Order: sequence, then C-alpha cells, then structure tokens
Amino acid sequence: MKLELGNFFVKEVKFGEATKFSKGTLTINKEEAIAVVKEDEHITDCDIVIASPGDETRIVPVKEAIEPRAKVGSEAAAFPGVTGEVSQAGIGRTNALKGCSVLAVGKHWGSFGDGLIDMSGEGAKYTLFSQLINICLVADTDEESERHEQQKKNHAIRWGAHRLAEYLAKAVENETPEEMETLELGAMTKRSAEVSKLPSVVYVMQPQSQMEEMGYNDLIYGWDLNHFVPTLVHPNEVLDGAFISGSFMPCSSKWSTYDFQNNPTIKRLYSEHGKSLNFLGVIMSNLNVSLEQKQRSAQFVAKLATMVGADGAVLAEEGYGNPDADFIACFVELEKAGVKTVGMTNECTGRDGQSQPLVTLDEMADAIVTCGNVSQLIELPAMKTVIGELEALARDGLSGGWAFDEKLGASVKEDGSIILENNSMFCGDQVCGWSPKTMKEF
Amino acid sequence: MKKAVLYINQFFAGIGGEEMADHAPEIREGLVGPGLALDGSLKNAEVTHTIICGDNFMGSNTEEAVATINGFLKDIEFDIFFAGPAFQAGRYGVACGTICKHVEKEFGVKTITSMHVENPGVEMFKKDTYVFPGGKSAAAMRKDTAKMAGLGDKILDGGTLFLAEEEGFFVRGVRHQVWREDAVPAADRAIDMLIKKLAGDDFQTELPIPKLDRVPIAAPITDLSKANIAIVTTGGIVPVDNPDRIQSASATRWGRYDISADMGLEGGVYKTIHAGFDPAAADADPDVIVPIDSMREYEKEGKIGKLHEFFYSTVGTGTTEAEAARMASEMVPFLQEAGVDAIILTST
Repeated sequence: MKLELGNFFVKEVKFGEATKFSKGTLTINKEEAIAVVKEDEHITDCDIVIASPGDETRIVPVKEAIEPRAKVGSEAAAFPGVTGEVSQAGIGRTNALKGCSVLAVGKHWGSFGDGLIDMSGEGAKYTLFSQLINICLVADTDEESERHEQQKKNHAIRWGAHRLAEYLAKAVENETPEEMETLELGAMTKRSAEVSKLPSVVYVMQPQSQMEEMGYNDLIYGWDLNHFVPTLVHPNEVLDGAFISGSFMPCSSKWSTYDFQNNPTIKRLYSEHGKSLNFLGVIMSNLNVSLEQKQRSAQFVAKLATMVGADGAVLAEEGYGNPDADFIACFVELEKAGVKTVGMTNECTGRDGQSQPLVTLDEMADAIVTCGNVSQLIELPAMKTVIGELEALARDGLSGGWAFDEKLGASVKEDGSIILENNSMFCGDQVCGWSPKTMKEF
Repeated sequence: MKKAVLYINQFFAGIGGEEMADHAPEIREGLVGPGLALDGSLKNAEVTHTIICGDNFMGSNTEEAVATINGFLKDIEFDIFFAGPAFQAGRYGVACGTICKHVEKEFGVKTITSMHVENPGVEMFKKDTYVFPGGKSAAAMRKDTAKMAGLGDKILDGGTLFLAEEEGFFVRGVRHQVWREDAVPAADRAIDMLIKKLAGDDFQTELPIPKLDRVPIAAPITDLSKANIAIVTTGGIVPVDNPDRIQSASATRWGRYDISADMGLEGGVYKTIHAGFDPAAADADPDVIVPIDSMREYEKEGKIGKLHEFFYSTVGTGTTEAEAARMASEMVPFLQEAGVDAIILTST
C-alpha cells in the first residue's frame, strides 16, 4: 500500500474573504466554514476562534483534535465512514495542513473525557496541542438528552470538527505541496530477502472501546470498535483517517484523531523498516470491560502476531485503570506466544504517588515505556483569554476537575486560576508516542 | 541553626549488649555514639538530643516505647529525625523503622535511617521513611551517617521531592511523572527498547514489576482420615487478654494457643484483635474465624485424623509480605515437629 501525504506547513491562520493557503498563511472564510459545520442542524450556535502558541489563552472543554486533511483527485472522504462513505484509506494522495489542528470545543458544556489546553505558561508543557495553531470550533448543540450527563457522545460538535478539518484541507486541492511524504509498505510475504531477515515486528494498538452503548468509542471506518475483534490494519490506514477518536476516556489518556493521523510510533517503525526492523504492520485491538472480551482480544492479537511471523511487538493502550487488564493480558499472551514485546502506557499512582501503577501487573511485562501519571495535581494561574467556558472544568465532571473539595476547593477559582489532575490535560500523556515524560521513584 | 534528633539502641549508646537490650527509652541532650559522626556530616542542623532504647524493649513493648519517646519529643523542638544506622541488626532495623514511621506521622517531620539490604526493616519500612542502603557492620558508620546527613541537609534546605536514583535511598513505591531532560519521545524509547530486547541485549524497563513470590500448591493429602490438621489464622483470634501482645494492624508478632481440651472457641474466652473488620460476630463466636467446632465434628466423624493441639494466630491487615513470611517461617518448625500434615489458613 502506498500513501502520499502532501504537506503544507501552516505558520499563521487568519480570517479573510476566501479560504485559501498561501506562503504559510491559511486564510479562512469564516462564514463559509461555519456553514459547513452547520450542515448538521443539531449545531445551534457556532463560532471559530484561533489560538496560537504563546497566546495567553486557555481552551476548555476540548473534545477532539483533528489535523486538516483531504483526499486529492478522488471523491473519497478524508474520514471514511464519518465525513463520507466508506472507502479505502491509506492509498492515493492526501493533503495535510501541518502545524495546526481543528479543535472541537464546547461553548458551555463539558463532559468526562474533555480536556484543557493552555497555549502558554506553565500549563503549556502538559499537552502537545499548545505547540500547534488551534482552529477552535466553539459550538453548542440541541443534544438535550445528554446536556446534563457526565458522559456525552458530543456527536454534533465532533462530527462538525471533522467536516471543518476536511473543508479546510480542500482549500489546497490544486496547490503544490511543500513536501511530499511517501509512505509505502508492501505485502508481508513479498519482501526482499534482505528485509525479511531483519526482526519482524508489529505495532499492536488498543484504542478505547469500553462503552457498551454505541456513540462514545473510537471508530474504524465509522464502525464502533466495541463491536470488533482484533484484525490486521495497514499503518497507512491509521495515518489516513480510518480511525477517529471517541468521547469517553479521561483526557490525558486519550488519543485524539490528530494522534492517530500522526502516530509517532508508526512513523518511527517506518523509519526503522529495512534498516533494523521488518515492520510487518498494525494489529488493531481494542479495550473491553468483561474478562471474556479481554481474553478474546488478547488471544486474537497473539494469534495474528504468530500467523504473520512477528518476532516482536510494540503494544500501546489508550486508557488506564480497567484497560490495564487488557494491556497486561495482551502483553502476557504475546510473550507466551514468543513475541518479544515492549508496552507503552501511563500510570495512575495517585496524588501521593503511592498507588500501584497499573491495575494488574505481571512479571512477563518486563519492558514498559511509561508516559505519565494521570493523577498528578496541577495548579495554574489564570489566563487572559478563555476559549469555551472555564467553569466546565469544575462543573461538568471532567475527569480531572471537580466542583467541590474540602481541602482544595473547586477546580476553578474566582480569579480564574485552576487546580486539576493531569487527567484533564488534553491528550497529555501521549501514549501514542510523543510523550517526553516518564515516571520515576521518589 | 536547625535541630536534629537521633535514635540509637543500647549497644551504640555504650550501655551494653544483649544483656541490656531491655533498657527502657531515655533521652539525653547532646551527642552519643553515632551522633558524633552524624553531627559532623550534617551542615544545616545540629544534633541536639539522642534517644536511646533497648532493642528488646522496643520489640516487646512497642506501644509503651513509642508512647514514651513520643512524650520526650513533645517537650523539645526539632526539624528532622534520624535513626541508626542499624547495619545488619534485625531488631535494631525494625526499631529504627518503627520510630521513624511514628515520628513522621505524629510530628510531620521527615525521618531518615540506614540499614543493610538484608535487614528485615528495609522491606517493612522503606515506604514509611527514607532508608539508605548501609553496610553490614559499624565499620560503615561514617559512610552511612554521611548519606543520611546528605539527604537531611537537602530536606532542611526546603527540598520536598527527591529522586531515589539520584539520592540512593531504597525505592519506596512513590512514583511521579517527570519530564526527561533529553526529551526523547516515548515512541523512540519504545522502539529502541524493542530493538535491544529482540537482540537479547540489556534493556531498562521504565516500570519495574515487583517480583511475585509465588508458592507452589502442595500435593493433596492422600488419606484425610489419618491426617493431622492445624488451623492458622490471620484473623487475630487470641485469648481475651492477648498474652502475646499481637498488634491490631501491621503485625510483627504471633501466638499459638492450646485448644486440645476445647470443643469450640467461646466468646469471652477468645476474641479478635484485628482492626480491619467489624469484630462483633467474631467476638460473639470466635469459631466463625477459627472453626474449632466444625473441626471437632470432622474429627468425630473420622473425616480427618485429628486436629492439631494448637491454633496459630496473627493479624493480616497492613502486615507486609516480608513480615508474614518471617512469622510463617517461625511457625513452621512447631507444626513440623508435631507432625502436622496440612494447614487450613483462615482470614477474616
């Protein structure tokens, strides 16, 4: 499979008469862009606001992040099964607006899996998205049935953000990319002797799919990953919009759609392919609540890894707590099958750092890269500007915020300063591979 | 100048060896024994007082010893608390850990001790206080006190979070996130680790998994009707006066009690001292934890050969694996000598 990513490097985003890209500047016709979002009649109120690195701006509640992408010379959707009909992702050409992301931001209402981004100051280090120019879709909807629920599907805002991301990238349809990135990985059984003799590895992904009710989980071509058994996936599909993020997991553990589209572990495996490793491809698994489901998925992964002749695996989970059981079960099954495995996860050691790092442990999980502590307590000063609504952090049950605490008070103070758990930092633990953090003993 | 207090045992105070191990707690102004070396290394505080307690006194009368020392400390001002070094002396190590844990909790003052890696006090208390790996004997005194003083100075300078790998104290199971100085992203760390693992090279996991000490399941009893069965409990059932002074939590002591003449355990004669559950039902009828009554019936029916003359008891709540294993290893010779074939282990 061969995918060409036509990269356009966005240095500045502003509003103007026509949506276009020229010399590093992305200009957005706001009215037209809002019309694209409002194609869904459930969007009742909508604005687009730009936040750039260094701005004294806090963004909350953030529900999703997407890199603007559009297929080129084809009717195919950038997010098949989501913004258009199901079609094969990971082939042909896709344009990408690099250095920016479309954020889905609640105008008022937050939910459990939503997060926070500070564009400057101490808080900026907690999330990758402080380094990007964020095109914030700030919206409200008429989804009354979940208005006061802690768990929200956030369907209208999330889908609106995906449409907006695709709309923006369509603006460069006829432009010449500043960089062409070619991602090609041929059939596993048709590789040269030189490549085949290298250690063969798979990347095993465990995206979030724990909600039994449909509408909250990560999707594969628009299909809920809860209704799924592990399967082989081409890495290009992951990078090219076949997967979108969900609306459930505590935010620092979450993989946004942007994280799927730019997955750094896949990028590194590509760069090692043919040099030190034979990158076979991705085994896409999931995360489940019942033991039987966990075992079934773990066994499927080990079986697939064995069938394709994997010597090694990198295993990553999008979650913590209950999903640790899936992570460890899968690790153990892979090791039992003789597949040498390295795991990637974050930890939940509590505010005092003394809790057991993962819900379950096993001595076979002897190689782990760890990316952060969801429960670290963080205090941050007020920001000049808030995009969204600051009170959502405390009021709406975000995983790392609270309305009341005897000792700490509410997460949001009158002066606009905040106290929260790392849990609510938007995709902050970056288990997909960006994380510059690790965990140490104190 | 800030103030430090040092806890030492009767031996290092020059009072005497084993024969003086029942020495009751006392407090002295100024430096005694190891205090000289500690005070010499310590830059940000002076050692103003030394507390001395016999190892046996601390081991056998823990509550009294801790309460007495607590009284001493209430009357003085201090900013940091040291104990030991205890080297390889087991009771001394446990005493240092016990008093450090108490002082840290009651006074909110940081505590530091040192012991050899094989000292049982390490496993028991490394989560409760800073324990530095120390030498086997007093030959390491200067080196061990210098390590204690080094961290002490940093704490007195206002430091709060210290990396185990930098300072050198035993890992305490306190894990926090840090930003790597080299900022190497997780993906690169994972692939580099995988390449090493595939090549059979050494690699360093970022999340060491504690070794589980699994015990293989014993072979089944071939003929139960001839077997001698004992009951061991972590449910804290003891004679009402708790003659062995077993602690209600984080137990380090155990007892065995003769039930050869009993058809069951009577409330009022036996009770539970376990602090981890509602004791009402067990106090009313201790057989619900240690089922002597049912075992006697089995004995009468001929289902089992006999019930061993003693039951063995300790408290499981908060008790470390290391302590539990030590107590079990102390019980086993009695059970073996009596020809016990199998044990029923009950909890709460």
